[in-house]
Amino acid sequence: MKLTATATALALSATAVFAEDTVTIEFAYPYSHLFDVTYEAMMPAFKAAHPDIEVKFRATYESYEDGTNTILREAVSGNLPDVTMQGLNRQQILVDKGIAKSLEPFIAKEDAFEKEGYHQAMLSLSTFDGAVHGLPFSVSLPVGYYNMDILEAGGIDTLPTTWDEVIGACESMKANGIDNPVFWGWNITGNWFVQALMWSQDKAIVENGQVTLDSPEALAALEQMQEIFTKCEMKNLEWKAALASFSAGEIGMMFWSTSALGAVERSQGDFELVTGPFPGMGETPRGLPAGGNAAMLTSTSDDPKVQEAAWAWLKFITSGEGAAEVAKTTGYMPPNKAANEVILADFYDQNPNKQTAVDQLPLLRDWQAYPGDNGLAITQVIYDGIERIVTGDATDMKELQQEMVEEVADLLPNG
Amino acid sequence: MVATHPAPPHVAAAPDHVARRHRTAWVLTAPALVLMIVILLAPVVIATALSFSNYSLGNSGFDWVGARNYEKLFTRSTYAKMFIATLTYVATVVPISVGLGLGAALLINTLGRFREVYKTIYFLPVMATLLAMAIAWEFMLHPSIGMINRTLEMGCGTVLERLWPFLSTGCADGFPVWLGDKRYAIWVICFIGIWQGFGFNMVLYLAGLTAVHRELYHAAEIDGAKSGWDRFRLVTWPALGPTTVFVVTISCIRAFQVFDTVEAFWPQGGGPNKSTYVMMFAIFEKGVQQNLIGIGSAITVLFLIFVMFLTLIQRWLVERKVHYG
Repeated sequence: MKLTATATALALSATAVFAEDTVTIEFAYPYSHLFDVTYEAMMPAFKAAHPDIEVKFRATYESYEDGTNTILREAVSGNLPDVTMQGLNRQQILVDKGIAKSLEPFIAKEDAFEKEGYHQAMLSLSTFDGAVHGLPFSVSLPVGYYNMDILEAGGIDTLPTTWDEVIGACESMKANGIDNPVFWGWNITGNWFVQALMWSQDKAIVENGQVTLDSPEALAALEQMQEIFTKCEMKNLEWKAALASFSAGEIGMMFWSTSALGAVERSQGDFELVTGPFPGMGETPRGLPAGGNAAMLTSTSDDPKVQEAAWAWLKFITSGEGAAEVAKTTGYMPPNKAANEVILADFYDQNPNKQTAVDQLPLLRDWQAYPGDNGLAITQVIYDGIERIVTGDATDMKELQQEMVEEVADLLPNG
Repeated sequence: MVATHPAPPHVAAAPDHVARRHRTAWVLTAPALVLMIVILLAPVVIATALSFSNYSLGNSGFDWVGARNYEKLFTRSTYAKMFIATLTYVATVVPISVGLGLGAALLINTLGRFREVYKTIYFLPVMATLLAMAIAWEFMLHPSIGMINRTLEMGCGTVLERLWPFLSTGCADGFPVWLGDKRYAIWVICFIGIWQGFGFNMVLYLAGLTAVHRELYHAAEIDGAKSGWDRFRLVTWPALGPTTVFVVTISCIRAFQVFDTVEAFWPQGGGPNKSTYVMMFAIFEKGVQQNLIGIGSAITVLFLIFVMFLTLIQRWLVERKVHYG
């Protein structure tokens, strides 16, 4: 009897100790269709390394915009998660509003931070006012996806390197009876492809708090898009529908983020898929915007244990085996030297399609956010403008440029 | 009625008794009043106040901007598209879904057997969640692998192609990209709205029809109303007056509220060229997606005014025109 009582007491105290030692952190990320598999693959290793930390996943964000908004709302209502994944172009606003915490105190405590593979060029994507506020988790670049079966049927054997060659390829495919030669990802989040055309000409879309839509480069970008859309007779597909069509083998060329490569390969029909570098406007692109997201610390907890646990999770997913899972399950590149060069050494040899974006890394530039409270509204104005080119509603690019410039000026803080 | 009676003498004699009864009455209604003010009236007042500000979520303060938000609503082309989309939707969906609802109710009412079966079938889309249905529609409307265009393709090369010009152009140049084409987008939304909503109107009309007295038909027949059309015109339609006012008002309000399909089909932007940028979606986009509470509130206030206006018309009609008590 006494023995049982002791055993019970022991068992009780054991659970109590266990409960006290387990720290729960809350975490949220965007794009479940891309990242669910990544986090699933990471969890066993994290649980083994940190048995005392429990990560509670919140509902995923539909997009980067949704993620930023959710965080802003949660900041007002006081239920922020401990760690959040935010689009690289949406970090600034959370830093400005004081929601994302500086990571410098944590980095200072690490002795071998550089050795973990975080190198300066990558960290600079998340550095604001000299302090690191986020650890980049996945970085993407725009690439071309080619259905080689369709391209061969259309009589094309070399991948295009400029948009003129893309249009030429469209025309010969059309002549060979292919209805749907191209999908160009104008509707990807955050005006990413417009910025891709701007960076191709080495021009930033935001300079000194002004949106450079009135520049000659912007006009050239608009005209380039019009040429692609009209000459290729591109259909106005919603992007999910376009990805589905491409995976089903109905579109010849798709220009999109390398990030979708994992998802496309998983649902790919019976055809040969090859990726190629993003074509340029007359010459090789001089720069390309970095897509992707970074892990930010938004914990409001005063408990140092929760803070430490959040940092452990942040570090785990952005370095070592954790980061390598990003490349294995998606088309993203882990922005971590160690993961890229050591763990993934043979990986890219075996997966040449995922190598394309890595080759373009020297072109990496900022994915810019528009200044002020109306940042998201400006994204929408540019989106609406490009859509008018796709639907054929706008035919005079100079006129469209003027309209967009006026509408954007109206939304800028000093406008 | 009570007021015309002379006041009973003991009431005047005991004023504090009356005061106590008044107090009790106030105490008893207080919870309802407080709740009404807190959850219904206060938000409206706050939204109205915010519509004159430039408040953006997450900011610590805001400025009053006067009527600038409203001025934007009536000068910007984006909002002109919003009004066009909303009014097109309402003007299409309301008459057709009311008409179909009435037609289906009349037909079902004449049936002896299978009434319940038909009722259930027509009511099915009403019971389904519009958002879930929208996702199903999205698959069906996919331009190349969707069921609708696949079905249309089957007509290619048959005699149908000669009879139906739409089909022959489709076969030659490809079928419409339904959701990505500004010529079709709003009509697709309207179609889904009607498909989803008319069953509800049918049920309301069926209830209205049970209240039409059999004797009225007999009386009309004695007076010489021989054909079905005469019976409908002289008896059914006037007797359904109050039901019709109610059905039209409800349909209008529901049509103004359309949101699920637009959000499911075009989470960004409100359709090709903003052709389906309906008011509810605009409120959501400005107020929730872009955090611009000021302009979002201004659209909300405008929306409330529309709905209030409709309700007032309904009340006026019910009181003046369609009472046959």
